[in-house]
Amino acid sequence: MTVGTRDLPMPRLMPLGDCALLVRFSERIEEAATLAIVAFADAAARAGLPGVVDIVPNLASVLLRYDPEKTGFAELSAEVRLLVSRPMRSPCESAHHSVAIRFGGEAGPDLDDAAQALGMNREAFIAQHNRRPLRVLATGFAPGFVYCGLHGDDMKLPRRSAVRDRVPAGSVLFAAGQTAITSTPLPTGWHVIGHTEFANFDASKCPPTRMRAGDTVSFEVLP
Amino acid sequence: MSVITVLRAGPLVTVQDMGRPGQLAYGVSASGALDKGAYGLAGAFVGARSGAALEFSSLGLSFRYSGEDCRIGFAGGDFVLSMNGMPQPWPSSAMLSDGDVAEIATGRWGNYGYVRFDREIDCVSVMGSRSTNAVVGLGGRVLKEGDTLSLIPLDPQTPDAVRIDQAFGPEELLAPIRVVWSIHADLFSQTVKSAFIETDFQITARMDRMGVRLKDGQGVFRNAKILSLVSDSVVPGDIQILGDGTPIVLLRDHQPTGGYPRIATIISADLDRFAQIRPGKAVRFKPVTLETAYTALRAGRR
Repeated sequence: MTVGTRDLPMPRLMPLGDCALLVRFSERIEEAATLAIVAFADAAARAGLPGVVDIVPNLASVLLRYDPEKTGFAELSAEVRLLVSRPMRSPCESAHHSVAIRFGGEAGPDLDDAAQALGMNREAFIAQHNRRPLRVLATGFAPGFVYCGLHGDDMKLPRRSAVRDRVPAGSVLFAAGQTAITSTPLPTGWHVIGHTEFANFDASKCPPTRMRAGDTVSFEVLP
Repeated sequence: MSVITVLRAGPLVTVQDMGRPGQLAYGVSASGALDKGAYGLAGAFVGARSGAALEFSSLGLSFRYSGEDCRIGFAGGDFVLSMNGMPQPWPSSAMLSDGDVAEIATGRWGNYGYVRFDREIDCVSVMGSRSTNAVVGLGGRVLKEGDTLSLIPLDPQTPDAVRIDQAFGPEELLAPIRVVWSIHADLFSQTVKSAFIETDFQITARMDRMGVRLKDGQGVFRNAKILSLVSDSVVPGDIQILGDGTPIVLLRDHQPTGGYPRIATIISADLDRFAQIRPGKAVRFKPVTLETAYTALRAGRR
């Protein structure tokens, strides 16, 4: 990832309960917001903001959880505004992950439907899906569950109308211009296009996840 | 070594402590006791230091103790307690001896109760906590009849500061639950926002450690259609409105992120109290400022 400075758009600051401040960079998922989120989360961690106990990058925002005995929304907002007004270093510690995927078949029951909905055959879909590295956008929804994106406009597909009750850990999901990887069994309305042995979550490790927001990820076909 | 053998278990008997905060960035919600004040009170009945708790729901729990004498504390809501068939006060403390049987049955109010010991519950600590998150399979599991748990000496690291947030009785459950407007409040019309704070909602039986469904009898949110949102982090106490207009209050085993609109968030000082309101009871929400929320939290911690 390139190292440089960037000016961040001024985010909206909102209280989420009495122990958290949400720093919203966008109302939708877009590349500029993603970069700002990663850079801001990194800068906030470096700055050691007083009273902040948790920094959580989301798809379009960053949540700062704080100890209300040590700081408050107004005080922390001032710190955040100050931080955002400075030119920010792009984080340089981002890692790259290579994820081998078994596409289609039992591992990916929705692959053909997804390809067809985008007007492609299976091979073209896989080639397009793996064409370039994606960025890890956020962890959320479930332990170690990562959203990776964004695919190009030709790869945008809404979620399925039906929800699968339980897909296994390692399921590779596809919807809304993103690829997600599950680390625990869970229900999903996304298209299940494949499966990977890549295990992103291990509760006995510190940190428990291998991927973090801002990392890059490339996909390979496991025959 | 001492052993607890579960003789009878209502739904949702789990091992809980103060939870594992600070893990949201890994997709893990904090879990922990739903009524932290009661958890603290059960600990205070044990003495200066105590281990994790068994949390149980309104149908209670019965167990047999075997091992050398052990101090136990009982607290949370109201339950009917007997030891070897002899009625005991609630909340209370007792000395357990080998072969003692504790029977905890439904009382007059409250959803959750706690027992703690002057020992630690022998289950693996995951990410700094023994709390069970059964939804994602972290920590312990939901205990059933016949299960056994070992009690081991307290870890020397166990903090000895037993803090009691709040002790409240059934009268306080009737007071409004205080909220601050949440991140999507502005997406609701002024009419809907006004109705939200002027209407009684009902607690339904569809409640667990993840959240509580409310009955919106007046149809406050019947027509409040809000398009899908990009998901953001969730915190306990968030009140989200599903696509069909059902309000859900998210509790400590919440999903780490959510894409439904959130109109308000219960203040930290009132979260224990909310968790103890029984199904069928009415709940009214009252908006307060952040300053009020902070003050209430500090008052509870004194």
